[in-house]
Amino acid sequence: MKHCLIVDDSRVVRTVAGRIIQDLSFTVSEASHGAEALEMCRKEMPDAILLDWNMPVMNGLDFLRALRREDRGKDPVVVFCTNENDSEHISEAIRAGANEYIMKPFDADIVESKFAEVGLV
Amino acid sequence: MQESTFNELADLALRNSGQHFAPTKSYLMDARLSNISRRESFATMDDLEQCLKASPNPRFEQEVAAALTSKKTSFFSQRDVIEQIVSHALPKRLELSKSGKLRVWCAGVSTGQEAWSLAMRIKEQVGSPLATAEIEIIGSDLSTDCVETAKRGIYGHFDVQKGLSIHRLMTNFSRHDNSEWEINDELRGTVYFRRQNLLNPASDLGGFDVILCSDVVGSLAKQAQRKVLETLSKQMLPEAYLFFGTDEAIEGLSDTIKPSRNMRGAFEKRSTSGETAVA
Repeated sequence: MKHCLIVDDSRVVRTVAGRIIQDLSFTVSEASHGAEALEMCRKEMPDAILLDWNMPVMNGLDFLRALRREDRGKDPVVVFCTNENDSEHISEAIRAGANEYIMKPFDADIVESKFAEVGLV
Repeated sequence: MQESTFNELADLALRNSGQHFAPTKSYLMDARLSNISRRESFATMDDLEQCLKASPNPRFEQEVAAALTSKKTSFFSQRDVIEQIVSHALPKRLELSKSGKLRVWCAGVSTGQEAWSLAMRIKEQVGSPLATAEIEIIGSDLSTDCVETAKRGIYGHFDVQKGLSIHRLMTNFSRHDNSEWEINDELRGTVYFRRQNLLNPASDLGGFDVILCSDVVGSLAKQAQRKVLETLSKQMLPEAYLFFGTDEAIEGLSDTIKPSRNMRGAFEKRSTSGETAVA
């Protein structure tokens, strides 16, 4: 079973996204900001990361840049999932190494479609 | 919805578009007519049907019939078929083309995503012979509202996130301030939309190298299926290909087409003596 780490400072978003991703046959773990997520990745690298942008302690973009600098033999698929829906933010995320981008609000069909785009389902 | 209302609306759909509604599908009618019903402030579908009967209005009747046929679609919903068309059918047609021009008809295209998806995939063929070919895509639908939406090429937040990768979205669309996304001019120059009832002849559209008609035929009554397949086959250029949706069972529905021997998933026109080729 594939493993997805959900990184978002909103417990509600983590819960909703978690249910959707579990329905796609993933195991799910959660982090509430980038620094916590980075620690979790150093212990066990997930197959996929659903990543918010604006979070306390470490934001999503800084987390992604740090993650891509890590050399742990496994490069997880990173799907941004954020309210930052303008072209500039999307381009910046892609440049930093994001594989896909979900614009909030989202539903189960969107998550499934985006995971399919990057070969996760 | 009363049984008599269902019967009247089912008859309207059958007359106008050939669409067959089984009695168990009244919920689908409700869903498809909900926008019109809300706009016109009808309390129930029975009121809508009474209005159609009490003051006959061909435009309104046509609008209701078109709404009853509407199909839910998304970008790249026929991904495998589009791949087959772009990777195999169009290159093969191009080999036979003296002018370097190809024409594709997306028939029953609803709000246009299928036609735009095909245009995007063709645009991605950099370095292949298709990149220099002149390819015209015509999208048609029975519903004037759907055709207008397709022509506008502006799609909402949820529409652009289903079937489209972020790279395709960023390459082919521009974002409006209200979170809608609009197709870029580069694609607009290759895709045209118009209203077309597939039960009627479409000879003014001219001949096509490839026709894609997905999720249309399966919901039609038998006689309408034959009529639609006849309309489509008449617009096929010699040795052209006709594609349907991936899961659609078409074989045997009409003697005007037959499975292609050299193109996986495609149908070709069955030649009959004395037939006049389309121009």
